[in-house]
Amino acid sequence: MLKQKVIYDAVLSAIIKGSTHISDDVIQALTAARDAEINESSILGLEDTIKSLVISREKALPACTDTGWPLFYFKIGNNASIEGGILALEETTRKAVISATEQGYLRRTMKHPLSGYDPGNNIGVNIPWFTYKFVPGTHLQVTYVAKGGGSEVFGGTRSRMVAFADGTMGIKKFIIDSYVAATYAGAICPPSILGVGIGGTANIAADLAKEAACLRLIGTHHPEKEFRQLEEDLFDAINSLGIGIMAAGGNTSVLSVNIEYSYTHIAGIAVAISSNCFISRRGTYLITEGSKMEYMKDPDWFGGR
Amino acid sequence: MKIYRLNSPISEEEIKKLLVGDIVFISGKAFTCRSKLQRAVFDEGIVLPKDLLQYEILIHTGPIILETEENFDLISFMPTSSIRFEKWGARTVKEWGLKIIIGKTTMGEQTVKAMSESGCVHLSPRSVSPNLWVSSIKVEGVHLFSEMGSIEAPWKLFLNELGPFVVDIDSYGNKLFENLDEQVHSRLDSAYKALGISEDFKYTRLN
Repeated sequence: MLKQKVIYDAVLSAIIKGSTHISDDVIQALTAARDAEINESSILGLEDTIKSLVISREKALPACTDTGWPLFYFKIGNNASIEGGILALEETTRKAVISATEQGYLRRTMKHPLSGYDPGNNIGVNIPWFTYKFVPGTHLQVTYVAKGGGSEVFGGTRSRMVAFADGTMGIKKFIIDSYVAATYAGAICPPSILGVGIGGTANIAADLAKEAACLRLIGTHHPEKEFRQLEEDLFDAINSLGIGIMAAGGNTSVLSVNIEYSYTHIAGIAVAISSNCFISRRGTYLITEGSKMEYMKDPDWFGGR
Repeated sequence: MKIYRLNSPISEEEIKKLLVGDIVFISGKAFTCRSKLQRAVFDEGIVLPKDLLQYEILIHTGPIILETEENFDLISFMPTSSIRFEKWGARTVKEWGLKIIIGKTTMGEQTVKAMSESGCVHLSPRSVSPNLWVSSIKVEGVHLFSEMGSIEAPWKLFLNELGPFVVDIDSYGNKLFENLDEQVHSRLDSAYKALGISEDFKYTRLN
């Protein structure tokens, strides 16, 4: 039985880790970008960012002031036994969000969309948002993602239906054009981790794009050859544009292009992009039988695709 | 590119010296602002607290500040995107007497025009480094806290060499990001080519 007390500790730890401790793969990518940079503004921008991220890790301070939409991704073992069931898991997660907000790990960001009412604790209708994946086994894994306002609001998340007649060319053009528009003036905090979803209904493509952006490590590739090729081609093409950090100019314009796909209707191909901030924030904990929790560097969300 | 260290009050001459691409560190009184304050003042008839009219530096931000019994504890500070505040941008410049706006991204045409007319610049961060900035900021007080909440209330700050920020709109109407964006677009054709996107490609209209 996986106890709610341990689940609470794991969720709160995932939030704190996600908000304050930027993952190794992200730090490494930013360091490599700095080493390869020749634009003075981008070099200094990357150096200041890395310095600040190191302080965040040491002092457990939010890596960015905008702690974003709180999103939770659960991998649930098919034979996992969760005390109180899934509804208790969701209630425990809300409690952890409230606590993290009170302690200053999360900003009081979530508001009512019409009235602007601020509950002051980031809890409201459909917030936090829960996504589940069922896997073999008895474990429970939680990943907290902070999806930043900048990366989400200013064009970093878009979708389009592409006709089969336009095929891969139409898909590529939509992705590169959307990304360029969204990076204007540094709106989405480039160089982003660019998630792409291809196929399915529009919302399936959008979900895949978001999960590809937020849950895949930088440097990973889709296992299927033609998608890996597409990732690499788009990565090279976007990095030839000279967008740089916060659009100040420079030779790193995107940190990673992560593509996931779904089979689609013969009528057309949904394509969605989701850009994640260059300080991608995620924290993952695994809870195993015997109620032990362990920090995981990789959410491994797409292990079984 | 020049580096300037400015202290508020800032003279008209000092503002005129600043050109797009210059780097600025800034000291003196500043207050924070988001949409809720602008809407309250310009749409709902709330009067901007009088003492704020003496401030000439506005920062678009929603900080993380925890209230303790004795004071306010600034946990995190990062400028937020200015472009979304365009609706009331020109009025804030003119009616609030601003000389400097600090925010991520940039402002739109109406605000740029107002900035040229009254001598104001926009400064944008080059990094995401809240932990390097908090030690340059002292929280001096807040207005309308119960109405606006901790993110959107106008916080009164005292800045001590806060920066570096880049001048992205100067008082002559020049826009740094427009220039940089033109450079990016000039490289798009060769990127299309590398991706095998033909020059005459047009999407099939689906609706």
